[in-house]
Amino acid sequence: MSDVLRRIEIPIALTIIACLLQVIPYYVEIPALESAANTASNAVLIIVACATFVGVISIVQVHGKRIQRQSEGWYYSILVIGLVVIMALTGLPLPEMGLGVNNSVYNWLFTNVQTPLGGTMYSILAFFITSAAFRAFRARNLEASIVLVAGTIMVMGNAPLLTNYMPFIADISLWIRSYPNLATMRGVMIGAALGSIALAMRTLMGIERGYLRGGGEE
Amino acid sequence: MSILDKINNLDRRWIYLLAWVFVLFPLLNPLGLPIPISQDARTWYDYVENEINDGDVVLFTPMYGVSGMPELFPMTVATMKHLMTKDVQIIVVSFWTEGPLVFNTLLTQVDPTDYGYVYGEDWIRLGYVPGSETAMGSFGANIHNTVTADYVEGRSLSSFPIMENVRTGEDIDVIVSFETGTPGTSEWMRQFNAPFGTPQITGCIGVSVSGMIPYLQSGQLQALMPGLTVSAEYEILLDKPGLAVAGVDAVSTSHVYVTLLVILGNIAYFMTKEED
Repeated sequence: MSDVLRRIEIPIALTIIACLLQVIPYYVEIPALESAANTASNAVLIIVACATFVGVISIVQVHGKRIQRQSEGWYYSILVIGLVVIMALTGLPLPEMGLGVNNSVYNWLFTNVQTPLGGTMYSILAFFITSAAFRAFRARNLEASIVLVAGTIMVMGNAPLLTNYMPFIADISLWIRSYPNLATMRGVMIGAALGSIALAMRTLMGIERGYLRGGGEE
Repeated sequence: MSILDKINNLDRRWIYLLAWVFVLFPLLNPLGLPIPISQDARTWYDYVENEINDGDVVLFTPMYGVSGMPELFPMTVATMKHLMTKDVQIIVVSFWTEGPLVFNTLLTQVDPTDYGYVYGEDWIRLGYVPGSETAMGSFGANIHNTVTADYVEGRSLSSFPIMENVRTGEDIDVIVSFETGTPGTSEWMRQFNAPFGTPQITGCIGVSVSGMIPYLQSGQLQALMPGLTVSAEYEILLDKPGLAVAGVDAVSTSHVYVTLLVILGNIAYFMTKEED
Protein backbone atom coordinates (compact mmCIF):
# COMPACT_ATOMS: atom_id res chain seq x y z
CA MET A 1 0.00 0.00 0.00
CA SER A 2 2.78 2.43 0.97
CA ASP A 3 4.43 1.77 -2.40
CA VAL A 4 1.23 2.78 -4.15
CA LEU A 5 1.03 6.02 -2.12
CA ARG A 6 4.63 6.84 -2.97
CA ARG A 7 4.04 6.64 -6.71
CA ILE A 8 5.07 9.77 -8.59
CA GLU A 9 1.82 9.76 -10.56
CA ILE A 10 -0.23 10.72 -7.49
CA PRO A 11 1.23 14.23 -6.90
CA ILE A 12 1.28 14.81 -10.65
CA ALA A 13 -2.41 13.89 -10.90
CA LEU A 14 -3.24 16.11 -7.90
CA THR A 15 -1.36 19.01 -9.50
CA ILE A 16 -3.20 18.57 -12.81
CA ILE A 17 -6.59 18.41 -11.05
CA ALA A 18 -5.81 21.52 -8.95
CA CYS A 19 -4.67 23.43 -12.05
CA LEU A 20 -7.68 22.48 -14.14
CA LEU A 21 -9.97 23.33 -11.24
CA GLN A 22 -8.75 26.92 -11.40
CA VAL A 23 -8.48 27.20 -15.19
CA ILE A 24 -11.77 25.70 -16.40
CA PRO A 25 -14.18 27.91 -14.36
CA TYR A 26 -12.38 30.95 -15.78
CA TYR A 27 -13.61 30.06 -19.28
CA VAL A 28 -16.73 27.96 -18.69
CA GLU A 29 -19.54 28.72 -16.25
CA ILE A 30 -20.18 25.54 -14.29
CA PRO A 31 -21.45 26.34 -10.75
CA ALA A 32 -20.26 23.06 -9.24
CA LEU A 33 -16.75 23.60 -10.58
CA GLU A 34 -16.73 27.24 -9.43
CA SER A 35 -17.71 26.14 -5.95
CA ALA A 36 -14.99 23.47 -5.94
CA ALA A 37 -12.44 26.04 -7.16
CA ASN A 38 -13.40 28.42 -4.32
CA THR A 39 -13.08 25.60 -1.79
CA ALA A 40 -9.63 24.77 -3.17
CA SER A 41 -8.61 28.45 -2.94
CA ASN A 42 -9.78 28.62 0.67
CA ALA A 43 -7.80 25.46 1.43
CA VAL A 44 -4.69 27.21 0.09
CA LEU A 45 -5.27 30.09 2.52
CA ILE A 46 -5.47 27.66 5.44
CA ILE A 47 -2.31 25.84 4.32
CA VAL A 48 -0.42 29.15 3.99
CA ALA A 49 -1.63 30.25 7.44
CA CYS A 50 -0.37 26.96 8.89
CA ALA A 51 2.99 27.54 7.17
CA THR A 52 3.52 30.45 9.60
CA PHE A 53 3.98 27.90 12.36
CA VAL A 54 6.60 26.12 10.27
CA GLY A 55 8.50 29.42 10.19
CA VAL A 56 8.41 29.67 13.99
CA ILE A 57 9.53 26.05 14.38
CA SER A 58 12.36 26.64 11.91
CA ILE A 59 13.58 29.74 13.79
CA VAL A 60 13.53 27.87 17.10
CA GLN A 61 15.38 24.90 15.59
CA VAL A 62 18.10 26.98 13.90
CA HIS A 63 18.71 29.36 16.80
CA GLY A 64 18.14 26.67 19.44
CA LYS A 65 21.06 24.71 17.96
CA ARG A 66 23.27 27.81 17.92
CA ILE A 67 22.56 28.39 21.60
CA GLN A 68 23.07 24.74 22.46
CA ARG A 69 26.46 24.65 20.68
CA GLN A 70 27.35 28.14 21.88
CA SER A 71 28.58 28.91 18.36
CA GLU A 72 29.80 32.41 17.46
CA GLY A 73 27.23 35.10 18.35
CA TRP A 74 24.98 32.60 20.12
CA TYR A 75 23.73 35.29 22.49
CA TYR A 76 22.02 37.04 19.57
CA SER A 77 20.03 33.85 19.06
CA ILE A 78 18.70 34.15 22.62
CA LEU A 79 17.47 37.62 21.69
CA VAL A 80 15.79 36.30 18.51
CA ILE A 81 13.99 33.46 20.27
CA GLY A 82 13.05 35.70 23.20
CA LEU A 83 11.50 38.30 20.92
CA VAL A 84 9.70 35.66 18.83
CA VAL A 85 8.16 34.27 22.00
CA ILE A 86 7.19 37.71 23.33
CA MET A 87 5.67 38.85 20.01
CA ALA A 88 3.81 35.55 19.56
CA LEU A 89 2.41 35.53 23.10
CA THR A 90 1.43 39.20 23.26
CA GLY A 91 -0.14 38.98 19.80
CA LEU A 92 -2.35 36.01 20.60
CA PRO A 93 -5.97 36.81 19.69
CA LEU A 94 -7.22 36.79 23.29
CA PRO A 95 -8.48 40.36 23.89
CA GLU A 96 -10.21 39.33 27.13
CA MET A 97 -6.73 38.65 28.57
CA GLY A 98 -5.34 41.92 27.23
CA LEU A 99 -3.50 40.18 24.40
CA GLY A 100 -3.80 40.68 20.65
CA VAL A 101 -3.46 43.57 18.25
CA ASN A 102 -4.11 46.24 20.88
CA ASN A 103 -1.60 44.86 23.38
CA SER A 104 0.77 47.65 24.39
CA VAL A 105 3.92 45.46 24.50
CA TYR A 106 3.13 44.05 21.05
CA ASN A 107 2.66 47.52 19.56
CA TRP A 108 5.64 49.01 21.44
CA LEU A 109 7.99 46.32 20.12
CA PHE A 110 6.77 46.87 16.57
CA THR A 111 6.99 50.67 16.71
CA ASN A 112 10.20 51.01 18.67
CA VAL A 113 12.19 47.90 17.77
CA GLN A 114 11.06 46.35 14.50
CA THR A 115 10.32 49.61 12.64
CA PRO A 116 13.66 51.36 13.29
CA LEU A 117 15.59 48.14 12.68
CA GLY A 118 13.80 47.55 9.37
CA GLY A 119 14.35 51.16 8.36
CA THR A 120 18.03 50.88 9.24
CA MET A 121 18.49 47.76 7.14
CA TYR A 122 16.84 49.47 4.18
CA SER A 123 18.87 52.64 4.69
CA ILE A 124 22.16 50.75 4.54
CA LEU A 125 21.44 50.34 0.82
CA ALA A 126 22.04 54.05 0.35
CA PHE A 127 25.70 53.63 1.32
CA PHE A 128 26.25 50.60 -0.90
CA ILE A 129 24.49 52.19 -3.87
CA THR A 130 26.53 55.39 -3.52
CA SER A 131 29.80 53.49 -3.43
CA ALA A 132 28.71 51.19 -6.28
CA ALA A 133 27.63 54.16 -8.42
CA PHE A 134 31.01 55.82 -7.91
CA ARG A 135 32.94 52.71 -8.92
CA ALA A 136 30.70 51.18 -11.58
CA PHE A 137 29.36 54.23 -13.45
CA ARG A 138 32.40 54.71 -15.68
CA ALA A 139 32.17 55.40 -19.39
CA ARG A 140 34.46 52.50 -20.35
CA ASN A 141 32.67 51.71 -23.63
CA LEU A 142 29.49 52.63 -25.53
CA GLU A 143 27.17 50.35 -23.56
CA ALA A 144 28.57 51.51 -20.22
CA SER A 145 28.26 55.13 -21.38
CA ILE A 146 24.57 54.67 -22.22
CA VAL A 147 23.92 53.17 -18.79
CA LEU A 148 25.96 55.93 -17.16
CA VAL A 149 24.09 58.76 -18.88
CA ALA A 150 20.63 57.21 -18.40
CA GLY A 151 21.32 56.28 -14.77
CA THR A 152 22.76 59.69 -13.87
CA ILE A 153 19.81 61.51 -15.46
CA MET A 154 17.37 59.29 -13.54
CA VAL A 155 19.24 60.05 -10.29
CA MET A 156 19.24 63.77 -11.06
CA GLY A 157 15.56 63.64 -12.04
CA ASN A 158 14.70 62.41 -8.58
CA ALA A 159 16.38 65.34 -6.84
CA PRO A 160 13.92 68.24 -6.50
CA LEU A 161 16.83 70.63 -5.96
CA LEU A 162 18.12 69.88 -9.46
CA THR A 163 14.79 69.62 -11.30
CA ASN A 164 13.70 72.94 -9.83
CA TYR A 165 16.57 74.83 -11.48
CA MET A 166 16.98 72.51 -14.48
CA PRO A 167 13.45 71.39 -15.41
CA PHE A 168 14.71 69.81 -18.63
CA ILE A 169 16.29 67.06 -16.47
CA ALA A 170 12.84 66.08 -15.24
CA ASP A 171 11.60 66.01 -18.85
CA ILE A 172 14.46 63.79 -20.03
CA SER A 173 14.04 61.56 -16.99
CA LEU A 174 10.32 61.22 -17.76
CA TRP A 175 11.11 60.44 -21.40
CA ILE A 176 13.55 57.66 -20.39
CA ARG A 177 10.92 56.25 -18.04
CA SER A 178 8.11 56.46 -20.57
CA TYR A 179 9.80 55.18 -23.72
CA PRO A 180 12.98 53.07 -23.50
CA ASN A 181 12.05 51.77 -20.05
CA LEU A 182 8.44 51.10 -21.03
CA ALA A 183 9.44 49.20 -24.16
CA THR A 184 11.98 47.11 -22.26
CA MET A 185 9.63 46.34 -19.38
CA ARG A 186 6.87 45.32 -21.76
CA GLY A 187 9.29 42.92 -23.45
CA VAL A 188 10.31 41.50 -20.08
CA MET A 189 6.71 41.13 -18.94
CA ILE A 190 5.54 39.48 -22.16
CA GLY A 191 8.55 37.16 -22.08
CA ALA A 192 7.88 36.23 -18.46
CA ALA A 193 4.19 35.61 -19.24
CA LEU A 194 5.04 33.34 -22.16
CA GLY A 195 7.51 31.50 -19.93
CA SER A 196 4.82 31.08 -17.28
CA ILE A 197 2.40 29.66 -19.83
CA ALA A 198 5.04 27.22 -21.05
CA LEU A 199 5.81 26.18 -17.46
CA ALA A 200 2.10 25.75 -16.71
CA MET A 201 1.65 23.58 -19.81
CA ARG A 202 4.64 21.44 -18.89
CA THR A 203 3.31 21.06 -15.35
CA LEU A 204 -0.19 20.19 -16.61
CA MET A 205 1.23 17.55 -18.90
CA GLY A 206 3.38 16.09 -16.14
CA ILE A 207 6.63 16.91 -17.98
CA GLU A 208 7.81 19.51 -15.44
CA ARG A 209 8.75 17.66 -12.28
CA GLY A 210 11.05 20.20 -10.65
CA TYR A 211 8.68 20.55 -7.71
CA LEU A 212 8.66 16.82 -7.02
CA ARG A 213 11.34 15.12 -4.94
CA GLY A 214 13.87 17.72 -5.92
CA GLY A 215 13.21 17.16 -9.63
CA GLY A 216 14.82 13.73 -9.91
CA GLU A 217 13.43 10.99 -12.08
CA GLU A 218 11.58 8.17 -10.36
CA MET B 1 50.28 58.91 -6.10
CA SER B 2 48.57 61.81 -7.88
CA ILE B 3 45.29 63.26 -6.71
CA LEU B 4 43.52 61.60 -9.66
CA ASP B 5 44.81 58.19 -8.62
CA LYS B 6 43.66 58.92 -5.09
CA ILE B 7 40.17 59.69 -6.38
CA ASN B 8 40.16 56.52 -8.48
CA ASN B 9 41.13 54.47 -5.46
CA LEU B 10 39.10 56.39 -2.91
CA ASP B 11 38.51 54.34 0.22
CA ARG B 12 34.82 53.48 0.36
CA ARG B 13 34.70 54.52 4.02
CA TRP B 14 35.14 58.14 2.93
CA ILE B 15 32.25 57.69 0.51
CA TYR B 16 30.11 56.24 3.32
CA LEU B 17 31.06 59.03 5.71
CA LEU B 18 30.16 61.75 3.21
CA ALA B 19 26.90 59.96 2.33
CA TRP B 20 26.07 59.94 6.01
CA VAL B 21 26.77 63.68 6.27
CA PHE B 22 24.76 64.50 3.11
CA VAL B 23 21.74 62.59 4.44
CA LEU B 24 21.93 63.47 8.11
CA PHE B 25 22.67 67.18 7.88
CA PRO B 26 19.41 68.17 6.10
CA LEU B 27 17.44 65.90 8.40
CA LEU B 28 18.82 67.64 11.48
CA ASN B 29 18.81 71.10 9.90
CA PRO B 30 15.96 71.34 7.37
CA LEU B 31 17.16 73.43 4.45
CA GLY B 32 13.78 74.21 2.92
CA LEU B 33 15.02 73.37 -0.57
CA PRO B 34 12.58 73.98 -3.43
CA ILE B 35 10.17 71.18 -4.33
CA PRO B 36 8.70 71.52 -7.84
CA ILE B 37 5.41 69.68 -8.40
CA SER B 38 5.64 66.84 -10.91
CA GLN B 39 2.92 65.42 -13.13
CA ASP B 40 2.85 62.20 -11.04
CA ALA B 41 1.88 64.12 -7.88
CA ARG B 42 -0.70 66.18 -9.73
CA THR B 43 -2.31 63.11 -11.32
CA TRP B 44 -2.52 61.35 -7.95
CA TYR B 45 -3.98 64.41 -6.25
CA ASP B 46 -6.51 64.99 -9.04
CA TYR B 47 -7.59 61.36 -9.04
CA VAL B 48 -8.26 61.24 -5.30
CA GLU B 49 -9.84 64.68 -5.36
CA ASN B 50 -12.03 64.40 -8.45
CA GLU B 51 -12.40 60.76 -9.50
CA ILE B 52 -13.12 59.17 -6.14
CA ASN B 53 -16.64 60.26 -5.34
CA ASP B 54 -18.61 60.41 -2.12
CA GLY B 55 -20.08 57.00 -1.30
CA ASP B 56 -17.40 55.09 -3.21
CA VAL B 57 -16.01 51.94 -1.63
CA VAL B 58 -12.22 52.26 -1.39
CA LEU B 59 -10.01 49.24 -0.77
CA PHE B 60 -7.02 50.71 1.08
CA THR B 61 -4.12 48.28 1.16
CA PRO B 62 -0.77 48.85 2.87
CA MET B 63 1.23 46.03 1.25
CA TYR B 64 4.60 46.56 2.86
CA GLY B 65 6.56 45.98 6.02
CA VAL B 66 8.89 48.04 8.13
CA SER B 67 11.65 48.10 5.50
CA GLY B 68 9.33 49.98 3.14
CA MET B 69 8.12 52.44 5.75
CA PRO B 70 10.73 55.19 5.26
CA GLU B 71 9.64 55.61 1.65
CA LEU B 72 6.00 54.55 1.64
CA PHE B 73 4.62 55.51 5.03
CA PRO B 74 4.46 59.29 4.34
CA MET B 75 2.36 58.77 1.19
CA THR B 76 0.13 56.26 3.00
CA VAL B 77 -0.59 58.79 5.73
CA ALA B 78 -1.14 61.68 3.31
CA THR B 79 -3.50 59.68 1.09
CA MET B 80 -5.51 58.42 4.05
CA LYS B 81 -5.90 62.01 5.28
CA HIS B 82 -6.99 63.09 1.79
CA LEU B 83 -9.49 60.24 1.50
CA MET B 84 -10.96 61.00 4.89
CA THR B 85 -11.74 64.55 3.88
CA LYS B 86 -14.26 62.93 1.53
CA ASP B 87 -17.33 60.88 2.39
CA VAL B 88 -16.08 57.52 1.14
CA GLN B 89 -16.21 54.04 2.65
CA ILE B 90 -12.76 52.69 3.43
CA ILE B 91 -11.95 49.00 3.75
CA VAL B 92 -8.41 48.41 5.01
CA VAL B 93 -6.90 45.04 4.19
CA SER B 94 -3.41 43.71 3.60
CA PHE B 95 -2.00 40.67 1.89
CA TRP B 96 1.40 41.49 3.39
CA THR B 97 2.20 40.12 6.85
CA GLU B 98 3.18 43.40 8.45
CA GLY B 99 0.46 45.45 6.77
CA PRO B 100 -1.82 45.63 9.82
CA LEU B 101 1.06 46.72 12.05
CA VAL B 102 1.98 49.45 9.58
CA PHE B 103 -1.63 50.59 9.71
CA ASN B 104 -1.52 50.59 13.53
CA THR B 105 1.33 53.10 13.21
CA LEU B 106 -0.73 55.12 10.74
CA LEU B 107 -3.51 55.38 13.29
CA THR B 108 -1.12 57.18 15.64
CA GLN B 109 -0.97 59.96 13.01
CA VAL B 110 -4.49 59.89 11.61
CA ASP B 111 -7.48 59.64 13.92
CA PRO B 112 -10.55 58.69 11.83
CA THR B 113 -12.88 60.20 14.44
CA ASP B 114 -11.33 63.62 13.72
CA TYR B 115 -12.78 63.29 10.23
CA GLY B 116 -16.15 62.03 11.50
CA TYR B 117 -15.42 58.47 10.43
CA VAL B 118 -17.18 55.80 12.51
CA TYR B 119 -15.67 52.32 12.70
CA GLY B 120 -17.87 49.71 11.06
CA GLU B 121 -20.00 52.32 9.30
CA ASP B 122 -17.50 54.43 7.36
CA TRP B 123 -14.36 52.35 7.65
CA ILE B 124 -13.28 48.90 8.70
CA ARG B 125 -10.10 46.89 9.13
CA LEU B 126 -9.90 43.34 7.80
CA GLY B 127 -6.29 42.73 8.87
CA TYR B 128 -3.86 40.44 7.08
CA VAL B 129 -5.07 37.72 4.74
CA PRO B 130 -2.44 35.01 4.18
CA GLY B 131 -2.10 33.35 0.80
CA SER B 132 -0.71 36.07 -1.47
CA GLU B 133 -2.30 36.11 -4.94
CA THR B 134 -4.54 33.12 -4.20
CA ALA B 135 -5.95 35.03 -1.25
CA MET B 136 -6.50 38.09 -3.43
CA GLY B 137 -8.42 35.99 -5.92
CA SER B 138 -10.47 34.42 -3.19
CA PHE B 139 -11.09 37.85 -1.65
CA GLY B 140 -12.41 39.14 -4.96
CA ALA B 141 -14.67 36.13 -5.42
CA ASN B 142 -16.20 36.29 -1.94
CA ILE B 143 -15.01 38.76 0.69
CA HIS B 144 -17.16 37.43 3.52
CA ASN B 145 -15.95 33.84 3.00
CA THR B 146 -12.29 34.83 2.77
CA VAL B 147 -12.30 37.13 5.81
CA THR B 148 -14.80 35.89 8.35
CA ALA B 149 -14.17 38.50 11.06
CA ASP B 150 -12.84 42.06 11.25
CA TYR B 151 -9.39 42.79 12.67
CA VAL B 152 -10.30 45.10 15.55
CA GLU B 153 -13.36 43.55 17.19
CA GLY B 154 -13.27 40.01 15.80
CA ARG B 155 -16.93 40.24 14.78
CA SER B 156 -18.54 38.74 11.71
CA LEU B 157 -18.29 41.04 8.69
CA SER B 158 -22.05 40.84 8.11
CA SER B 159 -22.60 42.58 11.44
CA PHE B 160 -21.00 45.81 10.15
CA PRO B 161 -23.18 48.20 8.11
CA ILE B 162 -20.25 49.07 5.80
CA MET B 163 -19.93 45.44 4.68
CA GLU B 164 -23.64 44.81 4.05
CA ASN B 165 -23.44 45.61 0.36
CA VAL B 166 -19.78 44.81 -0.16
CA ARG B 167 -19.53 41.11 -0.95
CA THR B 168 -17.27 40.63 -3.97
CA GLY B 169 -14.65 42.49 -5.96
CA GLU B 170 -17.43 43.96 -8.09
CA ASP B 171 -18.53 46.05 -5.10
CA ILE B 172 -15.13 47.72 -4.77
CA ASP B 173 -14.94 51.06 -6.62
CA VAL B 174 -11.22 51.71 -6.39
CA ILE B 175 -8.07 50.11 -4.99
CA VAL B 176 -5.49 52.32 -3.30
CA SER B 177 -2.38 50.20 -2.86
CA PHE B 178 1.03 50.98 -1.34
CA GLU B 179 3.58 48.31 -2.01
CA THR B 180 7.17 47.18 -2.11
CA GLY B 181 6.90 44.00 -4.16
CA THR B 182 4.94 40.79 -4.51
CA PRO B 183 2.00 40.58 -4.01
CA GLY B 184 1.37 43.98 -5.50
CA THR B 185 0.08 45.70 -8.60
CA SER B 186 0.63 42.78 -10.99
CA GLU B 187 -1.46 40.55 -8.74
CA TRP B 188 -4.15 43.22 -8.29
CA MET B 189 -4.32 43.55 -12.06
CA ARG B 190 -4.84 39.83 -12.55
CA GLN B 191 -7.30 39.35 -9.71
CA PHE B 192 -9.27 42.62 -9.72
CA ASN B 193 -8.62 44.73 -12.81
CA ALA B 194 -9.03 41.87 -15.30
CA PRO B 195 -12.20 40.26 -13.90
CA PHE B 196 -13.95 43.31 -12.39
CA GLY B 197 -12.32 46.26 -14.15
CA THR B 198 -11.53 47.84 -10.79
CA PRO B 199 -9.54 51.07 -11.16
CA GLN B 200 -6.40 51.34 -9.09
CA ILE B 201 -3.81 53.84 -7.91
CA THR B 202 -0.48 52.61 -6.58
CA GLY B 203 2.22 54.09 -4.40
CA CYS B 204 5.52 52.27 -4.73
CA ILE B 205 9.19 52.48 -3.82
CA GLY B 206 11.50 54.12 -6.34
CA VAL B 207 13.08 50.90 -7.60
CA SER B 208 9.67 49.45 -8.54
CA VAL B 209 8.74 52.33 -10.84
CA SER B 210 10.05 50.78 -14.04
CA GLY B 211 7.82 47.74 -13.52
CA MET B 212 4.74 49.92 -12.93
CA ILE B 213 5.04 52.08 -16.04
CA PRO B 214 3.47 49.55 -18.46
CA TYR B 215 0.32 49.43 -16.30
CA LEU B 216 0.22 53.22 -16.10
CA GLN B 217 0.68 53.68 -19.82
CA SER B 218 -1.99 51.08 -20.65
CA GLY B 219 -4.49 52.91 -18.43
CA GLN B 220 -4.94 49.96 -16.07
CA LEU B 221 -3.30 52.05 -13.36
CA GLN B 222 -4.92 55.45 -12.94
CA ALA B 223 -2.11 57.11 -10.98
CA LEU B 224 1.31 56.22 -9.65
CA MET B 225 3.19 57.70 -6.73
CA PRO B 226 6.83 56.71 -7.10
CA GLY B 227 8.81 57.23 -3.94
CA LEU B 228 9.40 59.89 -1.33
CA THR B 229 9.99 62.87 -3.64
CA VAL B 230 6.52 62.65 -5.19
CA SER B 231 5.04 62.05 -1.72
CA ALA B 232 6.48 65.39 -0.65
CA GLU B 233 5.00 67.09 -3.71
CA TYR B 234 1.62 65.51 -2.89
CA GLU B 235 1.82 66.78 0.70
CA ILE B 236 2.42 70.28 -0.67
CA LEU B 237 -0.58 69.97 -3.01
CA LEU B 238 -2.64 68.86 -0.01
CA ASP B 239 -1.27 71.80 1.95
CA LYS B 240 -0.36 69.38 4.73
CA PRO B 241 3.44 69.19 4.88
CA GLY B 242 4.39 66.05 6.75
CA LEU B 243 6.92 63.25 6.89
CA ALA B 244 7.80 63.36 3.20
CA VAL B 245 8.49 67.10 3.09
CA ALA B 246 10.67 66.64 6.17
CA GLY B 247 12.72 63.98 4.40
CA VAL B 248 12.92 65.30 0.86
CA ASP B 249 15.81 67.69 1.55
CA ALA B 250 17.91 64.62 2.33
CA VAL B 251 16.77 63.07 -0.96
CA SER B 252 17.94 66.17 -2.82
CA THR B 253 21.33 66.40 -1.13
CA SER B 254 22.05 62.68 -1.35
CA HIS B 255 21.16 62.57 -5.06
CA VAL B 256 23.34 65.62 -5.74
CA TYR B 257 26.14 63.85 -3.86
CA VAL B 258 25.80 60.70 -6.00
CA THR B 259 25.76 62.82 -9.18
CA LEU B 260 28.92 64.68 -8.12
CA LEU B 261 30.66 61.41 -7.27
CA VAL B 262 29.83 59.94 -10.67
CA ILE B 263 31.09 63.05 -12.49
CA LEU B 264 34.24 63.20 -10.38
CA GLY B 265 34.88 59.48 -10.83
CA ASN B 266 34.63 59.79 -14.62
CA ILE B 267 36.88 62.85 -14.80
CA ALA B 268 39.52 61.00 -12.79
CA TYR B 269 39.05 57.85 -14.88
CA PHE B 270 39.55 59.64 -18.22
CA MET B 271 42.44 61.81 -17.08
CA THR B 272 44.38 58.87 -15.65
CA LYS B 273 43.56 56.84 -18.76
CA GLU B 274 45.08 59.54 -20.94
CA GLU B 275 48.18 59.65 -18.72
CA ASP B 276 48.54 55.86 -19.06
